[in-house]
Amino acid sequence: MTEPVRIPPDDSTLVRVRGLTTVLNGKTIFDQLELDIPRGKVTAIMGPSGTGKTTLLKHITGQMRPDAGQILVDGQNVPELSREALYKLREGIGYLFQNSALLTDFSVFENVAFPLRQHTQLPEVLIRNVVLLKLQAVGLRGAAELMPNELSGGMARRVALARAIVFDPKLILYDEPFVGLDPVALNQVLKLIRTLNQTLGITSVLVAHEMEAVKKVADHVFLIANGKVVAQGDPKTIANDGSPWTRQFFGGEADGPVPFQYPAGDFGQALGFPDAAKRAVK
Amino acid sequence: MSARSVPSKNVFIGSLAQIGGCGLFLLTLLGAIPRSFRYVRETLRQLWFVGAMSLTIIMVCGLFIGMVLMLQLYNVLSIFGGTSASGLVVALSVYRELGPVVTALLFAGRAGTSMTAEIGLMRATDQIDAMEMMAVDPIAYVATPRFLAGLIAMPLLCCVFCAMAIFGGHLVGVTWLGIDNGTFWSNMTAVVNVHTDIVNGVLFKSLIFGAVVSLIAVYQGFTTPPTSEGVAYATTRTVVASSIAILALDFVLTAFLT
Repeated sequence: MTEPVRIPPDDSTLVRVRGLTTVLNGKTIFDQLELDIPRGKVTAIMGPSGTGKTTLLKHITGQMRPDAGQILVDGQNVPELSREALYKLREGIGYLFQNSALLTDFSVFENVAFPLRQHTQLPEVLIRNVVLLKLQAVGLRGAAELMPNELSGGMARRVALARAIVFDPKLILYDEPFVGLDPVALNQVLKLIRTLNQTLGITSVLVAHEMEAVKKVADHVFLIANGKVVAQGDPKTIANDGSPWTRQFFGGEADGPVPFQYPAGDFGQALGFPDAAKRAVK
Repeated sequence: MSARSVPSKNVFIGSLAQIGGCGLFLLTLLGAIPRSFRYVRETLRQLWFVGAMSLTIIMVCGLFIGMVLMLQLYNVLSIFGGTSASGLVVALSVYRELGPVVTALLFAGRAGTSMTAEIGLMRATDQIDAMEMMAVDPIAYVATPRFLAGLIAMPLLCCVFCAMAIFGGHLVGVTWLGIDNGTFWSNMTAVVNVHTDIVNGVLFKSLIFGAVVSLIAVYQGFTTPPTSEGVAYATTRTVVASSIAILALDFVLTAFLT
């Protein structure tokens, strides 16, 4: 286990990652990863598929423990927290899952009301008003009585977003929030993320691949590859920083530091032509 | 969080790992009981689902088992002129063995599989992780209410099963085959012992079987790989493991209780 935390909380940084190392099934996901997520800003985590972006969110929320390193959220080292302390921390964190993760036995209304019913003793009238406010914010007040299986993918994502913000958390983590949204819904979600950030000062971290959407909403971008932060900066200028990582990722090039092909043996041999490579050389 | 099943190529080691994981999961469940008291409504909802919704199959099966048992016994006992004891033998067979064992097997097939499939799908669709993220303990909210519901429902269902089996035996023996009604009931009340046959036979055994089936069902659901194939295997494992556990435990309990 790592040494106890000695880093004091920093007002300008909400999440601080230090020396994060994670190995899953023999593959190194993070190798001494270090990054700071500024308080009150919208930060985007980008990178090639399978690079560990969702895993990083899971480390921040304590769903996964790292092999080494510290993840400080508001000064608390998440891997060292007790179950009670972790749950207390999570009450202040909203999390939007990739596949929405709505409770399928509950209606849209009950899904959004679920955290309120579990953690508060609010009267029913107040719960109803809060839930309707959040559903109105995501444009689905009229769908309150629908069941999750009656929703499209985009609608389910917006309901999950309403549930994630029902407590007005200090930190919201969005895992691929733009996937499956039509242009209208996409704009509304972008506007909502911005509004939440500006009006309530909520810190937002989003994992996304859509550069245009990220440019519209994010204040800061981290590009992660090979277990480290390979580039970071302003979303409008990061693509032009000249590094081979950003050139390949934002240019969508197959050749570059990140191989397009998953490691494999000789292709000719796999097809049953053992001397194909020799003939090609001749 | 929950224990994960340990995949192993060695069947023996794999089975031992499953039993060990199940034991650890039981400790987690028991530890979560005080926290689950705040979810009484969820426990009642599960009690309705695994108990009340299983009544039809339990009643129908109990009725037919009582009827067929009486028919067989009447044919055999008539050779020795002992048909008046048919009702008594039906009662003893049902109270001591058939009631708890068949009810538990039906319970595993009806309620156990649905518990495993439901929890497995909740895991596959990240609903369990979502609860964790909303600071709601899934062991206390999902697992323990189902375990407690199974524990409470099984003895009640077993009582219903036994009552229906006796009724079925009476229907065939007295109404159809003409055994004297007074003999049917008086033999039964004279020989059936409340402590050894009802408390030990019906209530205690069914309580243990209810705990075992619910534990296996919930454990399989929580440890299933989050894929459609994983949920299918977990559901099958619930039935297979529960059936073996019920029959093996029945032997052990009978040996100790008689």
